[in-house]
Amino acid sequence: TKNFEEINTNPNAVNTLTPEFLFTKAQYDGVANQLLLLLGTMQYTTSYNDVAGFGSKYIASQVNSSSSSFSNAYPGALNELTLIINSVKDDPARVNLLAEARIWRVYCYSRLTDVYGDIPYLQATKGYTDNQFTPAYDAQKDIYADMLKELDEAAQSLDPSKATYGQSDLIYNGNPTQWKKLAYSLMLRLGMRLTKVDAAAAQSWATKALAGGVITADGDIAKVSYLASGQLINQNPLAYNLYISDYIAANGSTNQEGGKYQDVFINYLKQTRDPRLAVVSVVYTGGSPNVTDTTFAKQQGMPANLGSKPANFAQLSEPNPKTVLLRNSPFLVFTAAESYFLQTEVALRGWSTGTPAATLYSNGVAAALRQWSLFSASDGTIPTAKINAYVSRNQLVTGTFAQQMQQIYTQFWVSIFPDAQEAFASYRRTGYPALTPNNYVGNATGGQFPRRFIYPISEQNLNPTSYAAAVARQGPDNLLTRVYWDKQ
Amino acid sequence: LPSAAQLAMVSPPPTGGAHYRPQSLQPSAATRRPLKEVVRQLKQTYRVQIAYQEGLLDNKFGTVADSSALAIDARLGQLLTGSGLDFKQITARQYVIIPASGQRMADEPIKGKVQFAEDGGGVPGASVILKDNPSIGTATDADGSFSLKLPASYDGKPVTLVASFVGYSKVEITVTNRSAPLTIKLAKSDQNLDEVVVTALGINKQKRSLGYAVTEVKGEDLTQARENNVANALTGKVAGVNVAGISTGPGGSSRVIIRGNGSLSGSANNQPLYVVNGMPIDNSVPGQAPTANGGGSNVDRGDGISGINPDDIESITVLKGGTAAALYGSRGGNGVILITTKKGRAQKGIGLEYNGTFTAESIAVFPNFQYEYGQGDGGVKPTTLAAAQATGRRSWGAKLDGSTDYVGVDGQTHPYVAQKDNLRHFYRTGTTLTNTVAFSGGNESIAYRFSLADLNSKSILPGTTYNRKTANLNLSGHLNSRLSYEALAQYNLEVAHNRPSAGDASANPNWSPYMIANTADVRWLNPGYDARGYETVWNDAGIATNGYFVINKFQEDDRKNRFIGQGSISYELLKGLVLKGVVSQDHYDYNFASVTPTGTLYALTGQYVGIKSDVSETNGLATLTYNRQIKDFGVSLLAGANRRHSELNELDQAGTGFTIPFFYSYNNLASSTTLALSSRQQVNSAFGSADFNYKGLVYVTVTGRNDWYSNLSPSNNRQFYPSVNGSLIVSDLFQLPKAVNLIKLKGAYAQVGQGAPDPYAVNLTYSNVPSSGQPLQNVSSNTPGSGIAGITNANLGPVLSTTAEGGIEGQFLDNRLSFDITYYNRLTDRDIVNSTISPTSGYNSVYLNAGRVRNRGIEFLISGTPIKSSVFSWNTSYNVAYNDNRVLSLAEGISSINLASTVGNWGNINNIVGESAFEIVGTRILKDANGNTVYNATSGFPVATGLQPLGKSVAPLTMGFNNDFRYKRFSLNVLLDGKFGNKVFSISEVYETRLGLLKTTLPGRESGLRLQGVTQDGSAYDRTVPVSGLRNYYDNYKNYSELFLHDGSFIKLRQVILGYNLPAFHISKLNVQSVTIAFVARNLATLLRHTDFDPEQSFSNSNYQGLESIGLPRTRSYGVNLSVKF
Repeated sequence: TKNFEEINTNPNAVNTLTPEFLFTKAQYDGVANQLLLLLGTMQYTTSYNDVAGFGSKYIASQVNSSSSSFSNAYPGALNELTLIINSVKDDPARVNLLAEARIWRVYCYSRLTDVYGDIPYLQATKGYTDNQFTPAYDAQKDIYADMLKELDEAAQSLDPSKATYGQSDLIYNGNPTQWKKLAYSLMLRLGMRLTKVDAAAAQSWATKALAGGVITADGDIAKVSYLASGQLINQNPLAYNLYISDYIAANGSTNQEGGKYQDVFINYLKQTRDPRLAVVSVVYTGGSPNVTDTTFAKQQGMPANLGSKPANFAQLSEPNPKTVLLRNSPFLVFTAAESYFLQTEVALRGWSTGTPAATLYSNGVAAALRQWSLFSASDGTIPTAKINAYVSRNQLVTGTFAQQMQQIYTQFWVSIFPDAQEAFASYRRTGYPALTPNNYVGNATGGQFPRRFIYPISEQNLNPTSYAAAVARQGPDNLLTRVYWDKQ
Repeated sequence: LPSAAQLAMVSPPPTGGAHYRPQSLQPSAATRRPLKEVVRQLKQTYRVQIAYQEGLLDNKFGTVADSSALAIDARLGQLLTGSGLDFKQITARQYVIIPASGQRMADEPIKGKVQFAEDGGGVPGASVILKDNPSIGTATDADGSFSLKLPASYDGKPVTLVASFVGYSKVEITVTNRSAPLTIKLAKSDQNLDEVVVTALGINKQKRSLGYAVTEVKGEDLTQARENNVANALTGKVAGVNVAGISTGPGGSSRVIIRGNGSLSGSANNQPLYVVNGMPIDNSVPGQAPTANGGGSNVDRGDGISGINPDDIESITVLKGGTAAALYGSRGGNGVILITTKKGRAQKGIGLEYNGTFTAESIAVFPNFQYEYGQGDGGVKPTTLAAAQATGRRSWGAKLDGSTDYVGVDGQTHPYVAQKDNLRHFYRTGTTLTNTVAFSGGNESIAYRFSLADLNSKSILPGTTYNRKTANLNLSGHLNSRLSYEALAQYNLEVAHNRPSAGDASANPNWSPYMIANTADVRWLNPGYDARGYETVWNDAGIATNGYFVINKFQEDDRKNRFIGQGSISYELLKGLVLKGVVSQDHYDYNFASVTPTGTLYALTGQYVGIKSDVSETNGLATLTYNRQIKDFGVSLLAGANRRHSELNELDQAGTGFTIPFFYSYNNLASSTTLALSSRQQVNSAFGSADFNYKGLVYVTVTGRNDWYSNLSPSNNRQFYPSVNGSLIVSDLFQLPKAVNLIKLKGAYAQVGQGAPDPYAVNLTYSNVPSSGQPLQNVSSNTPGSGIAGITNANLGPVLSTTAEGGIEGQFLDNRLSFDITYYNRLTDRDIVNSTISPTSGYNSVYLNAGRVRNRGIEFLISGTPIKSSVFSWNTSYNVAYNDNRVLSLAEGISSINLASTVGNWGNINNIVGESAFEIVGTRILKDANGNTVYNATSGFPVATGLQPLGKSVAPLTMGFNNDFRYKRFSLNVLLDGKFGNKVFSISEVYETRLGLLKTTLPGRESGLRLQGVTQDGSAYDRTVPVSGLRNYYDNYKNYSELFLHDGSFIKLRQVILGYNLPAFHISKLNVQSVTIAFVARNLATLLRHTDFDPEQSFSNSNYQGLESIGLPRTRSYGVNLSVKF
């Protein structure tokens, strides 16, 4: 038995982790764990196929598919970040590694709680360290309080003189100054999330965030960069998933999942003569070779109430393979545009002084149009003249607060695409854009807009007590229960 | 031919009524006559038997005296005086002439040979024991020869030997002259009191001595109506052995569970250990067993036992649990299936055997769909190609009216009528041709048997084939009187082509014929690809692959090169003290590649999966045995040590996107990954056993074994396992009526343990993740190859399984009637379970020394020969077993662990405290106190309950009823078997409901479905689902598991064999000893079932028992078997 320990050592694994390597993985995993069906819910896309179209149709029989990102989050990015944090937390030399892991963990948790509401938080990812196999669900209120505290502490602890992740950080190459901006930008986002439920807290956190310094320059945009080929994990997961599961045929006709842009999105872009229409949307010519056509007049979306393939399917608009579907396009984690739009609202609420709301808004619109050049310099770059023309056509109205909010967050909806998850959060908080819910036959909500998505059915099986407590506190585990910050 | 010794003992039978009466001879002069002649006369005169060694009386003379007044003793004494000979009286009328003391060789061993009476072939492994001291004995070697040394106390005494062999009547023979080789012939018998069976470590024991239940199945029972996987042939034959049918086609694997699931962790941990000639073999499935929600290359790649050719099997002994298998320690807890292969025998010339079987198989069960409403949606049939493609697998159309404007997916118009023969059209008749040739022969120092076999199977799925070539060589012999050896080499080459994927829709060829709309002919999908070679659309979901495209364009090939080698040497150090060493290895190389071709709708640029692995299990075993008889006590002792080392090295290749379309090379992938996988485990063991018997009335065996496991925590990696068993022969203890041949009480208690099922489960480790950019790392999977991030357990210790059993056996009426009842209670404690846990813990599973699970049950076997005459006989046996399986506890704070789930968690397999292990778990439709359905007023659908236990996935009650009829040269075997009390969750029916195929989807088709019940707040609920909403409404049924749950009980006519045994004949120079031709059938009919599908429909030998899915249809097979011996 002398050699037993050697026999029982996996020759393909190591006993100690390398925080840098796990951090890169956690960045990939954090981005990859998106609830893509929200593209349908937020009425960017749809499918005539019931299963693939669940997001735009909320069909009762498919409701379980909405729980996937819950199950994936914890063993993925969240546990990886916990492992990193545990390994570097006692080493003052690696304070930046610790702080950046904490900031990224807040990003990951916020994406999760915004979709599901109460989730395991404080006791989560402690399976190995604490034998905690059935973590309690924390109230979203408490999760928000802790996330904001985490951002605050982490931002303050960043130290440009200390070691960084370097190239292992796909967002900022480890740059602590930029991470600080991301931390305060996330603080702005999460702080503003509280406007409906706790305006005072929202004001306090937003003010703190702005004082700390948020992302405004294009060069500070937080984005995860990807490669065009090689391992799948190195390719943009959103682009790859859309491409591989639906649009790979690139002929407009034999889309596996029957997906297209939804008419709501395309109609809005057309109606506002948005120069982004040609960037994001194409139709196929149907000739041979079957090439993409971005002609404004030819773009047409598909209604979300179809149950079978429409006759004109091949002529409908779908994501542009040269931008949205590019596997080496970046995933934008936090944009200058979002920052400006949130700042516009802060200004409108009178929580800030200085730059006027209208200027902030215009800065946001312009930044949003510029950001497509990050997807593709050749096919995403919108000429400055066109940007300026669009900006001047879309000045912030001088109407009521509600009218201004509608304008900001309708523009936000267009600008945040394809990050539907943030659009979903913003929509629930502000009520904009004014989308009409889909009352498709057999839908689970009685034709109402979903306010959250459901926990995995496996939680009833594996974590029944905690699950029951969460449901008792938050409300029934269905699509209509509102999360904490979404109180009416 | 009988030996001289036997001939010498033969005396004329006493004439009717004649009594001992001295007979006068013709008076004659005292003449010296050859002694032989004198003795012959004496025998006649005195009517006694006088035996002597041939040649002993040669050249010796005696006097024929008229002295009939003398008693025979005196007469013999007189006769032999001065001749250097002596005599002894054995019985009242038996005498033997021996050399006078001093001249006779001391303790000369008794040598001889045991032969089969029917063909004169040597009987290998027959037991030869002293009648008055059964602890003194030996077993015959490969050619049936034996050599038995007797203690000095027997010197010069005649002794009576008992020779016995499984399935043959024992023979007693008295030996007076040890120098003459004996020949003992054994005749077949159906029941035998003193049967000898193979037990743990290949040790032969008298069945009467065993305190636990063992069952033996003869090789010939497996070879006529054969199963490709020999484990499946055990179905119904052994009480307590539950063989699950798996319909994955030829070359598929098996799932055998003995006395219930003893481990909560499932997978391979509940299957028995397979042992060939005393040494374990590997029974792993390369890669992983198929899963319920897997697609693509989700195929059953076959297990280890499937590589054994039934023609090479002499017998199979089933050791049912820890009590019988205690000597196997950690691996015996789930029972052991001991396979003894055929050996060569010393004989003149070469023995040649041929066995050939041809079987054809066809679909056994057809679906019971609705044929009232056809293809379409919302009550409308398709009249355009686009509509046909959109509804290719939807039967939500109009009422069938035979109208002719219906357009199918082939773009043609067809009459709108039912298509009921899609399965018949899609599948073909499967065939299997097996040919085995075996040569055997040899002499004292080397006996050999060499067999070559070829199995060629064509699945019912066009394009799917499986070929298995087996070469098996067995050598054995004596190098000298003390040294003997045995060697076994088996080489297998298994080649499979296009094994079908099971589970979910993607790449599953069975999806199209089952799920296509009920008015569409599946052949309209043929050939499944267009001019470019791309898959043609037949339905609205690209993931549901066109079955013809799978058959014609998907590629799957695997090849297994397997070598099983074994060598043993045994040496008799001292009288009764034998040292034996055995080394064995089971090794295979496996090469698998699966191509999802260019143009597949769900993976347009194609995918590739490859597995290259080598797997080995190496065992080294040394034993020292000692036998001794002290007066009435027999003792045999065994001590041994074993080292088991198993190793897996695997490369998993996966990739997507063939850069050059249609060029299917790993090197042509746009994105590819190769992962190295390794798994090593070692168990060291020391063990001993002691067998005692008193006068053959009481038998006690005590064993102990200590195992050290490499895959457990260094601080907790050893376990001692004791066992004791015994039997009491009540029928020999008391004078019982003559009708009673045997009454035996038996009892056993054993503890055995198990290590962790997988290595590397003790420490958390980190693995690199293939990356084209920055290096990536994550937590290693705790189950090599599973990809699941799981928690290891630094304190992982051994599992302990404790079994107690007791029973009674009886044989009556000249063994025409016998029964065997066994009760057992098996408690598995500290079970190592790789439990699925909430992912919110950060991990998907954890290794826990957690479970306590109990299996207790009763096994009952009754067999008999109601009719027995020289022309007609009927042997029958009925076995029934009931196993109560209960999860007593799990880890603290955990009341339920999940083992398997379907897509969408519609059906789950869980271990729940207080329920049976492997309970099916799911939801029901919520009802109020009055039985009204509760509806969700918002969505309009019934409310689903939370997850509830729904039933056992493993049948608690199993039975088999076997009948053998023999009329002259005809024989008929009929085997029925049944399982009762389990449930099956049908994944197929979930889809068939969604697609409108099931009859249960008919309500509402004409004018909508009215729903009535109550809302969640108790008020009345009433709405009508319009025809256009029916598809969605019924699709939502998937959220109520109970709707797809069925009673899985069945009774099947499992096997019928009609055989004819031709008389021996000569063809030119060939001496044909026997020719048997048999018509065989397997799975002939289902006499009872409660499902519309075959309740044994299963697609995986892993945890997914109780979950039926869309796999290959179950089949029945018919064929002919020809067996010839030269």
